[in-house]
Amino acid sequence: MNKIKVIIADDHELFRNGLKELLIKHDDIEVVDMVGDGNQFINAIQSIPDVNIVLLDLTMPNMDGFEVLKTLKDYNTNIKPIIISMHNDGNYIAKSAKAGAYGYLLKNTDEDELIKVIRLVSQNKKYFSPNIAEKMINFMSEHKVSENILSNKEKEVLGLISEGLTTKEIAAKLFVSTRTIETHRANVLKKLEVKNTAELIKKATQINLI
Amino acid sequence: MQLRTLILIIINSLIFLVILMLSITFYNQFSKVLDDRILLQLNSIKTLKQIQVENLITTEWQQFLNQNDTVTDTLNFEVPETILKTSGIYDFTPYNTNRRSAIGFVWHRDTLTKVGLMDHDKIKDILLERAGMGNSGESYIVGEDFKMRSQSRFFPDKIPSTINVKTKGVVEALSGTVGRGVFKDYRGVEVYSVYSPISMSHLKLAILSEIDTSEVMAPLEQLQLRLLGLIFLIMIVAIILSLFLTNIITNPIHNMRKSLKIMAAGDYNQTNTFGKNSNEIKEMFEALDLLKKSLQGAVTFSRELGKMDLNSNYVPKGENDVLGKSLIKMRDKLIEFRNKENINRINTKRQLVDGLENERHRLSRELHDGIGPLLTSLKFYVENKVHDKDKKQDMIKIIDTTISEIRLMSNALMPSTLEDFGIGVALTNFVESIKKTSGISIIFEDLTQDSHSKITKNQAINLFRIGQELVNNALKHAKANTIRISLSEFDDFISLFYFDDGIGFDLKHVKLGSGIINIKERVEMCNGQIQIQSKPGSTTVEIELPIEL
Repeated sequence: MNKIKVIIADDHELFRNGLKELLIKHDDIEVVDMVGDGNQFINAIQSIPDVNIVLLDLTMPNMDGFEVLKTLKDYNTNIKPIIISMHNDGNYIAKSAKAGAYGYLLKNTDEDELIKVIRLVSQNKKYFSPNIAEKMINFMSEHKVSENILSNKEKEVLGLISEGLTTKEIAAKLFVSTRTIETHRANVLKKLEVKNTAELIKKATQINLI
Repeated sequence: MQLRTLILIIINSLIFLVILMLSITFYNQFSKVLDDRILLQLNSIKTLKQIQVENLITTEWQQFLNQNDTVTDTLNFEVPETILKTSGIYDFTPYNTNRRSAIGFVWHRDTLTKVGLMDHDKIKDILLERAGMGNSGESYIVGEDFKMRSQSRFFPDKIPSTINVKTKGVVEALSGTVGRGVFKDYRGVEVYSVYSPISMSHLKLAILSEIDTSEVMAPLEQLQLRLLGLIFLIMIVAIILSLFLTNIITNPIHNMRKSLKIMAAGDYNQTNTFGKNSNEIKEMFEALDLLKKSLQGAVTFSRELGKMDLNSNYVPKGENDVLGKSLIKMRDKLIEFRNKENINRINTKRQLVDGLENERHRLSRELHDGIGPLLTSLKFYVENKVHDKDKKQDMIKIIDTTISEIRLMSNALMPSTLEDFGIGVALTNFVESIKKTSGISIIFEDLTQDSHSKITKNQAINLFRIGQELVNNALKHAKANTIRISLSEFDDFISLFYFDDGIGFDLKHVKLGSGIINIKERVEMCNGQIQIQSKPGSTTVEIELPIEL
């Protein structure tokens, strides 16, 4: 049975050593190298073949975890990165996942969880614990990206304009300043290339925005 | 010397001089004319008397000659023989024993001698006719021996030939001169006198018509008195008029002096109104009012400057309004100074806050990236080296709690998300954590640009702190149930809008610790604007920061 070849990339030596000691207790896991930053990691994988997994810290000097993720994607290697970070915010998790991370672990993750994830990822599976996944999803749901011409907010403003609300009323309803609404309105007019509210409503109806 | 006194003296002495000159000239002219008139009149009287006397004597002489009486000596006094040898008219007075005046006739042919005396009363009648001679005028005749030959008006009881008359007129007349003059007569009294000689045959007399100067001068003296009275009257009127005039002139000057004095004392608000009795004075006061107004303007302006109200404006009253111009210059300098000071103040604050934030950032990183990994390492160590399962479990639990705590502390100090993901995500995370811990309805809407946000790191930190402060305030003081925050990023500005339904606060009595002041300062540091409206149930804060390109 092939051992899972793991590289640990973290700028804290104590952490690296502790993690390594923990991993090597397991027979199916082999720590092939430990590096202090992204650059060292990139250099290391040039010389070490068949690395399965990298336990990648996000916050590192010279080249941080996100850059490493991007580089790995470009290199098109088989190395599957698992982020192991102190950050437990959804945005870090989501960004890592987007950038190609196979898993996301907090540094104080229990040993069992850690080993479980390494094993799952080594089988080419992405794994995010429910806890981590929830955070990621929460963040992503709040940051839904509109693919349309108008942003979500602009669409909302447009809808309220078409209902006949004044700028002030819209501002009160959406909990934003009147100038914000004015600016949104001006931006919508600009994006739809119309000059006034009447034209705006007409055009918006034509292209089924409202 | 007071202006008033000066004017009074000058005007009145001028008037006095003029009147005096006029009076003297008038008086002189008048007295000269009077002299001429008197002498002329005296002359005509004298001439008349002379002619009458001469006619009388001639007539008497003819009568004497025509008397064919033979030698009759009608004389009762002795006459020298020599006289009797020659015919003619003689003055026998010196020979008259009773010393009465006597004009005698002598006719002598061969041995015949006729002597006669003229009736002297006839001459007396002529001479005593004193019409037009006033109270002191008289005509009289004087003999060669300078004795009077006719009765004196003043000594009617004296025998004329006892009165000695050797005056200038008599002397001249006896020497054959006709003349006039003013001199002392036989009494020693000054008189106007005309005189001429009467010379007939052997008779040689002087006839004089005289009048006392005192009588002639009486009306002149009256005139003098009248003139003096007139001068006095005119002077009084002149003084009264000039007093009035000086009042007209000096009162406004006096008032002006008073006004100027008050102004010099620094009071430009006096509103005294003065009687203005001529155009010039009116204009002068108008000019003064103008000056006062412009000074008042300048004073108001400088007072406002004194209160550091630098928005007040002042229009100089003209090219030469040096005061106004220097005040404006001063204001501009003050504005410049204040702006500089403001910039300095903001810079200083910015540096302080920057230092603080940097320190927080460093501490946060230190906790997160320094202590954090150490704790995780410790955890690994425990997991690797501790074999007692219960003990291991407990230790790991403690370490996990510590790590969570460290994470919270680090996030509170400065979330790394702020640097790595920007303000939108950082506030989202912050609000998320608040929602979990407080349980109130709090929604943050992140409308910042995802990838190419132009919000600077400084703005992000300040916006994050403002957001933190607002939410903490709402939780601590406002008892809010609902909080809505939105952060919108546009091409040229960033808008942070905050709403809560708490009890609100009084903007004018913001407590120092309430964070509002902190928020305002941070907004100021970012050159932004803030509007706060607060009433129970609705507190809104609108913050706008410019996008700095």
